[in-house]
Amino acid sequence: MSKDNAIELRGVTKRFDEVTAVAEFNVEIRKGEFFSLLGPSGCGKTTTLRMIAGLEQPTEGSILLEGADVSATPAFRRNVNTVFQDYALFPHMTVKKNIYFPLKMKKVPLGEAEPRIDRVLRLVNMEGFGGRLPQQLSGGQRQRIALARSLVNEPAALLLDEPLGALDFKLRVAMQKVLKDIQRDVGITFIYVTHDQSEAMTMSDRIAVMKDGFTHQIGTPDEIYNSPATAFVASFIGDMNFLRGALVESGTGGCLVEVAGRKVRASRPAGLKPGEAALVCIRTERVLVNPSREIANTVAARLERIVYRGTDYEATCTFDGAEVRAIVQAVAWNPNLQVGDTVQVAWSDADVIVFPASEEKDVIKYSVEAL
Amino acid sequence: MARRVSSPREFLKGVPITVWMLALVVVPLAFTFVMSFYTSSGLMIDQTLSLANYKLFFTDPLYSRILFKSMRLALAISVLSIGAAFPLAYLVSFKIQRGRNLLFMLCIIPLWVSYLVRIIAWRTILGNRGVINSALLALGIIREPITVFLYNQFAIAITLTYICIPFVFIPVYTALEKIPRNLIDASNDLGANEVRTFVNVILPLALPGLVTGFIFSFIIALGDYIIPLQLGGTEGIMFGNLVWSQFGFAFNWPFGAALGFILFIIAVVILGVTARFGTTEGGFLGE
Repeated sequence: MSKDNAIELRGVTKRFDEVTAVAEFNVEIRKGEFFSLLGPSGCGKTTTLRMIAGLEQPTEGSILLEGADVSATPAFRRNVNTVFQDYALFPHMTVKKNIYFPLKMKKVPLGEAEPRIDRVLRLVNMEGFGGRLPQQLSGGQRQRIALARSLVNEPAALLLDEPLGALDFKLRVAMQKVLKDIQRDVGITFIYVTHDQSEAMTMSDRIAVMKDGFTHQIGTPDEIYNSPATAFVASFIGDMNFLRGALVESGTGGCLVEVAGRKVRASRPAGLKPGEAALVCIRTERVLVNPSREIANTVAARLERIVYRGTDYEATCTFDGAEVRAIVQAVAWNPNLQVGDTVQVAWSDADVIVFPASEEKDVIKYSVEAL
Repeated sequence: MARRVSSPREFLKGVPITVWMLALVVVPLAFTFVMSFYTSSGLMIDQTLSLANYKLFFTDPLYSRILFKSMRLALAISVLSIGAAFPLAYLVSFKIQRGRNLLFMLCIIPLWVSYLVRIIAWRTILGNRGVINSALLALGIIREPITVFLYNQFAIAITLTYICIPFVFIPVYTALEKIPRNLIDASNDLGANEVRTFVNVILPLALPGLVTGFIFSFIIALGDYIIPLQLGGTEGIMFGNLVWSQFGFAFNWPFGAALGFILFIIAVVILGVTARFGTTEGGFLGE
């Protein structure tokens, strides 16, 4: 089984003095997979990456690289390479010497190395830059050289530590594409650390969502987005409405929760007993305003605020103290609606996820009232 | 770029440093330079310009021999100082986590002790009844005090090395501290063990600091005359003593000025040659 895995973490734990940075991390990462470690700062994602690289030693557990336990192997003997957050190019070496460095360490003669250096320079679209010094390059160019330097050895896995963090938005989006293309071309396993959920969503085959050292969920972007395992995952990825309520009944066919005096139906069961406090989650873009068809959950609400955001409108609606935000595509928006109007807000029972109320403390709020 | 004319305010900012440089560096040097062309006759200074002093320096082999000896000793002292200060700076900067600031202070604390006190301290260490001799006597290795430690070039070298170590330590430590630690991680990650990381990454990046430290120690050692006087004995006459004695009992200020100016030119040449290597622009090691 482990032959097909590029990397396997078994119960990997890292403690710094009394602080647990990573707790009991278990995962099998397949060859050629684009795997992201996603979480807010301090969640342990970079520590996990550094343990795979060999730059930190796990306190407990073992790390397997292509089926072989490398827990005790020092970083310089591990067949993985890292792209560091601020590139870590050697300032006293030209681009070519930087890329030659890992080959030189493997005692590859320069003549033999040259075609390989040229190939990775072509791969990152930086031919002709071999003679430059790192300080003569822009951020995006340095990024690509760091990538080339890490790829030239054809490692079993490439570890990327927030590689696009220092770039501006447009360049970041462009580099995401470049990275994804390169990963497809070379077929190397990528382990990608980021705190940017959209970056993780667009690029990854699978994502591990972390918080405070714990892995909350490992899954495909679709699973993470549509079936979050915890309220934290639900809040960290995408835009979510959170409503407080109490469970009325739960069965295999779904559950019923009372929110602000209204009954909300969910098609998925909740791990709660009747009467227990619940946290109801609904994606903002799944909330419909004045739907044309019959929908399981429909409530009358007052339109409190309308925000035009270019491609869409954000409509904030309240009913009996509960607040629901709806994201409506600009083309589908009824321009006659005004603040103070009574509207029907609706969402399908398939779009409702119910968590125990105790998870509310983990919810990360990006909405206006949290600021 | 377009040439800009500085505003009067900008101009005023430059005045203090210009006055400072003129009063403390340029004017005294100019006086020395002019005086080096005078001659001394008895207790009078003859102000007619001549090259007699420089002619004396280049014709009498005594002077160039002493200059050569001084340069050789200064070179040895610089190498010894770097040999002592570099490992120390490397340890403090890279290997010590706790108490680093304390260690840094301990390394530079000799600078707060008077220069003369430190020289006298070394005399008591190296002297006939000094620490080394007493220890050797107590251990029964020798029967009577040995005199090889004091009043020779060895004594000058060891004391000046001691004086120079903080002046090498500070620029080397600063250069090492400026090396981003993720370069060490990157080097490790790309297949270099600790030794190869040191040779390929740390050493080339610390080179500017090493060059600065070398310049400091070489110039301090070349110009010093008090340590040779105090610890050098008869074989310890250095170029600095020569200059000093012309202004002292020899009372030949013009010749002293000429010797001083020669020393100054040597220092300028060394600075000029080594300053090229002091920059961080890449590729200076050839590889």
